[in-house]
Amino acid sequence: MSNFKTVGKSERKLDARGKVTGKTIYVDDLQMPGMLYGKVVRCYEHAHARVKKLDLSKAAAYPGVIKVLGPEDVTQKEYNNSVIPLMVPEEMQQVLGDIDDQKIFTKHVKHYGDAIAGIIATSAEIAEKAAEKVIVEYEPLPVYLTSEESRQPDAVQFVEGKPGNLAFELPEPVFPNNTMGWGDVDDAFEEADFIVEDEFYVPKQKQCQMEPNTYIAMYDEEERLHCWTSTQMPKSVQRTLSKLFEVPMHKFKLHTATIGGGFGARLGMILEPEVCAMALAVPGRHIKLQSPREEDWLTSPSRHPGRYWMKIGFKNDGTPVACDAKFVSYKGGYYLDGSGVAYTTGGWLSAMYKWGALRYKGETYFTNQPICGAFRGYGNPQTNFAMEQLVDRACNKLDIDPVEWRKRWHKDVGDDGWCAGVPLSSCALDECLDRGAEAIGWKDKRAKYAKQSGTIRRGVGVGVMTHTSGASPMLLEHTVSTVKLNEDATAVVTLACTDMGQGSHTTLRQVAAETLGFPVEDVYMNVDDMDAAGYDIGAHASRTLYVGGGSVKAACEDAKRQLFERAAGILEANPDDLVMEDKNIFVKGSPDKSVAAEEITKAGVYNFLNPETGGRDKEPGQIQGYSSYFPAHNSPPFGACFAEVEVNTETGEVKILEAVNATDIGKAINPAIAEGQLDGGAHQGFGFALTEEMYFDKDGKCLNNSFTDYKMLGASDMPKMTDILVENPDPYGPFGAKSVGEGGLVSPIGAIANAIYNAIDVQITEAPITSEKIVNALKNL
Amino acid sequence: MNNHDITLKINGEEHKVTVPANRLLLDVLREDLQMTETKYGCGTGECGACTVLVEGNKNICSCVTLAATMDGREITTAAGLEKDGELHPVQEAFIDEFAVQCGYCIPGMVLKTVSMLTENPNPTEEEIRHGLEGNMCRCTGYTKIVKAVQKASQIMAGSES
Repeated sequence: MSNFKTVGKSERKLDARGKVTGKTIYVDDLQMPGMLYGKVVRCYEHAHARVKKLDLSKAAAYPGVIKVLGPEDVTQKEYNNSVIPLMVPEEMQQVLGDIDDQKIFTKHVKHYGDAIAGIIATSAEIAEKAAEKVIVEYEPLPVYLTSEESRQPDAVQFVEGKPGNLAFELPEPVFPNNTMGWGDVDDAFEEADFIVEDEFYVPKQKQCQMEPNTYIAMYDEEERLHCWTSTQMPKSVQRTLSKLFEVPMHKFKLHTATIGGGFGARLGMILEPEVCAMALAVPGRHIKLQSPREEDWLTSPSRHPGRYWMKIGFKNDGTPVACDAKFVSYKGGYYLDGSGVAYTTGGWLSAMYKWGALRYKGETYFTNQPICGAFRGYGNPQTNFAMEQLVDRACNKLDIDPVEWRKRWHKDVGDDGWCAGVPLSSCALDECLDRGAEAIGWKDKRAKYAKQSGTIRRGVGVGVMTHTSGASPMLLEHTVSTVKLNEDATAVVTLACTDMGQGSHTTLRQVAAETLGFPVEDVYMNVDDMDAAGYDIGAHASRTLYVGGGSVKAACEDAKRQLFERAAGILEANPDDLVMEDKNIFVKGSPDKSVAAEEITKAGVYNFLNPETGGRDKEPGQIQGYSSYFPAHNSPPFGACFAEVEVNTETGEVKILEAVNATDIGKAINPAIAEGQLDGGAHQGFGFALTEEMYFDKDGKCLNNSFTDYKMLGASDMPKMTDILVENPDPYGPFGAKSVGEGGLVSPIGAIANAIYNAIDVQITEAPITSEKIVNALKNL
Repeated sequence: MNNHDITLKINGEEHKVTVPANRLLLDVLREDLQMTETKYGCGTGECGACTVLVEGNKNICSCVTLAATMDGREITTAAGLEKDGELHPVQEAFIDEFAVQCGYCIPGMVLKTVSMLTENPNPTEEEIRHGLEGNMCRCTGYTKIVKAVQKASQIMAGSES
């Protein structure tokens, strides 16, 4: 049906060759002349304390130490590592109550591993040794690991202006009674024939990107501050650091580096403030600051853990008359995305099913756990774990097939999506459910596993999801791109969208090539020139292809229009009648009379003057296309995951036998890259459901900040995966595309939990569903 | 700390270096010799990002290997698999099968695969998955990496027959 040249093809990833040989450069691979090494001194004695005395003199005297920095030696301004306050209009920041509550080095330690001082030395080893010479006296404070503790009236306040350590709740001016939803939930429950309800726990899951966090900064002779970072959001970070250090934006050069995985951990900043503060303290010298792997769990944001109450009323025909829910999360020591996740968690709940009435409350409290922020899914995994299990519990009571119930009650085109007032633009969830069910053999397996009694039992489960493509209109979604046509009719696209490794620069190049009508090889993606690139909100909310792609498409349309206008002059034709093939432009149907694109681009620079008259007899000037693009929608994708598990009822061991991840992608620009998102998403979703959680002792010390103790699924734990891309072009996305980055993580959570339920007839309400929890649940039957 | 004068034959080329007894192979490669294709992932031998091959086929974690113990040995890094601009079949397979996302684990993953296929040229899927344990990837769910190993195994079998 389509005659796309490159859209829809699995073009090779443009960064793959450099990565298989190891030649690709990450920040830690950079060595600068005369480079110094930074070290952040952290508190590992307490999770909550005041610094009573800090003696840096012995560290300063250690041979090879260039400078030591205490809390007073750096800017006293406060900031927020999440750049989310920049992403909403200023009046909305006030309404939400977003705050800056972080300092470069603190005197009030709020979590295990909080930063108290900095050291700059000639080698990393010396900096490390000097850090051991720092003498600190602490006044220990009570440790609050959960909101149940930190909300008590006599608890120490984390910041002024947040009484009860309530970092955020849905704000009254936008959400009356601090609730989101519709209808009268209490009345609606009266109509229910039965109710399912429970309290769930969702875990503190960590992104665990493979590249540790490493930064370089330098303040140069022209008073320009440079920072090399693997942030997902270069423009927002530039703006935030520029304000923090009072360096105007044109004097702040952010160097984007290859990102060795992000998953939300790099949404905003991690150690950029610390490394820039160090660079300003030693002008003219490059400083490298690397966080050792074990610090990653403690210093970069995790998923929000907490308690999730949910109650759903059903009629006997399956009608979900009402849903009442409350998510109370443990914020950790600092605010970061306090408003974002507490809100969207309810947004995803509101978007999935046609609840007769809905009431959602979202609250988050400061605690003495390490920080929480963005993690792929952004509240959706938490909702999925609770909601999908309760739906299946109801389906069991109703004796309705869970696939059929979902097909009957999921929201559809025209219903409101996650952002109230924005109706869904497209939905192919039914096809995802049908094709996924067929691929896993749903009906046969459900029948076969209905009655089991042995030690080894099998189950098959389904989970569905809807997510978003960019966060419009909640956030200021915006990407600027330019495309320059070189004299030889090759093209350079310049923009600030980052590629976390998923392949977004490859797919954006396909969008550019398709729009221009050029071969992909003729397009170069200039993605690391932040002085030249215009604004981009950053890689979040599964938006890079959808918003960035929309911008690239618009810029390339602009360039192509200019090219065709010039061709029309030469061919004496109407630009609207022109087509291009093999970079030759001609009137449609008349290829005999054509002009090469290269002739036009060359003439604009080298050949526009008439040598005899000196006049301009060809159109002068280089063609550049431009777009400052704001998406008109957020085109939510949908997806269904099916999983089959085997549970050992004696040991509680769960083995995932097979999984099918079907997603309503609109249009796959690069199918293999899209599949990669489903595969990787499922891995993290299965991890949430089965093994991944940060643990703390009663004093707030993290017990498993290492790859041995924080259990991610390995290659042999992962099942055979089947990915199904359901293509039903969306009216708003570029070439009909919707997002695929985050959603692939979400539905596998419900699918695994429900497969275990199918196998053992018991629901485990606390994630991850570990062997111990299964054994205990079966014991208590 | 005693210093040791050692010779490492890396990717076919001899390098003479003087190292303290506690210097790690990873640091010699990355810092002393500026061969940054071998990555630091955890520093404790848990993730496999720092994998190199010894004597062409034995895979080790260079982050927990003392450089001095490698005196006189032949070390292969991911960059060394490329010969005269030609990629190793394992590298080609990783590209073709889209096994590469963020890429940070990939040099180690590619070397682990070479090591695995040297020992067992025709592994089953289960053997591949078992063989990859110790090398962590957070992007791909291992799905396309497993496919790449299978494809590499086929290509290498074909080129030998």
